[in-house]
Amino acid sequence: MEKLNRREFAKKAFGAGGLLTLVTALNFPEAASAFSGPEVLIPSNKFLNRPDLGDALKSMYMTYDSTTPYPHKFNETITKHQLRALEFFVTKGLDKEYAEHYVTTMKPVLLKIKEALAKEKDPDKALVALIDNDPCYFQLFERIKVKTGERTFPCPYKGKLQDCKYWLGTFKAIEWKDVCNRWCIPTWTGFAETVGIKIKVQPSDDCTVKLA
Amino acid sequence: MDIKNRQDSLLITEPPVEQPACISRRDFTKKAAGISAISLFALMSLPQAAFSWMNGKFEEREDLNDGLKAIIKTYSTTEPYPLKFNEGLVRQHLRSLDFAMRKGVAKEHAEHFVYVLGPVLERHIKPAVAKLGKGIFLWGIFERTGCSYQLYEHINIKEGERTFACPYKRPLEYHNKEIGTYNIKWKDVCANWCSLTWNGFAKVAGVEIKIEPGETCKVSVV
Repeated sequence: MEKLNRREFAKKAFGAGGLLTLVTALNFPEAASAFSGPEVLIPSNKFLNRPDLGDALKSMYMTYDSTTPYPHKFNETITKHQLRALEFFVTKGLDKEYAEHYVTTMKPVLLKIKEALAKEKDPDKALVALIDNDPCYFQLFERIKVKTGERTFPCPYKGKLQDCKYWLGTFKAIEWKDVCNRWCIPTWTGFAETVGIKIKVQPSDDCTVKLA
Repeated sequence: MDIKNRQDSLLITEPPVEQPACISRRDFTKKAAGISAISLFALMSLPQAAFSWMNGKFEEREDLNDGLKAIIKTYSTTEPYPLKFNEGLVRQHLRSLDFAMRKGVAKEHAEHFVYVLGPVLERHIKPAVAKLGKGIFLWGIFERTGCSYQLYEHINIKEGERTFACPYKRPLEYHNKEIGTYNIKWKDVCANWCSLTWNGFAKVAGVEIKIEPGETCKVSVV
């Protein structure tokens, strides 16, 4: 790949490409509003209106600046905590009920999703609601690849379980397959049944959840 | 009244009447940088130095886009309340605690957390306390670890004391009001999760702490 030095980058950015884009954009009243200053853009943008972004960025910086003994990611703690909780409830013989408890405590939300699905008649919307738009998942999965009726994402648990076993040595009760079989599959299947869809889960390094 | 919180006889103190003094950005940076620098140099002199302390590799990361996308998605969600970076983690803690309490295993659940993190405490925090004094304990369990900086929005640092906004209150109150499927109340989180785990960490490190739960929670070494 061609490398650009700072001067060349600036030339290209502010040269023909940038100017042409600006002139073109200004010819469209709606698009041009973005150039009219932050007072036009910001009121309609929820992200830009958040006064607490600094805290989020600090947390992100601290996370991604920690690269030993392994690179930390935004889902470091949520993944670790889920594994820890599962490990504990497996040792107590309560893992099945633990997964059922998740589905049960989400039931009112899931029934609202079911209601909305009945109106829209688009089963893919179930995956949008259950995976794409749920903070418990978009804060857990690094990338969610979206295809109609199918979602694929890298398993956050596999590497983290290895890290925990190696660096802490106190995770002894569960293996990776237990996470799939005792946590992910029962909870997702439970959610799907409650919202009135059927899914097929294909656990792997890249896990796939498909409408069945 | 004995305001010390011990793992075996837990007492929760009243929330502080006065808000803790605000710290300016400059003072915060000064204190954080000062404490961190001292701690870092001291820890580096320990045989088994702290591993995951920030090591200046942020700009070399090729997966920043994933982290940033998660933040944008999170902070673009403002209904039913503005989500924060710790939302998923907070919900997970609350859900696990609710289940543990229903099953009567909340104390063991918290002790298990202390147990799994025990090696880190034994390896890093305990020797640091022995070498640098008990104040370093708070640095070790709060601003030093991802379990805290991915959970608390900002941690106000004072010598021997940390304060931070409770991350559990709003999501739990929302859940209890609008969804209504948890048995736990806010005070249960303070008593059966935060206090038990922090006191457990303190016990391993050989330190005593005082916890003052509130919307702004305060933890200080005794």
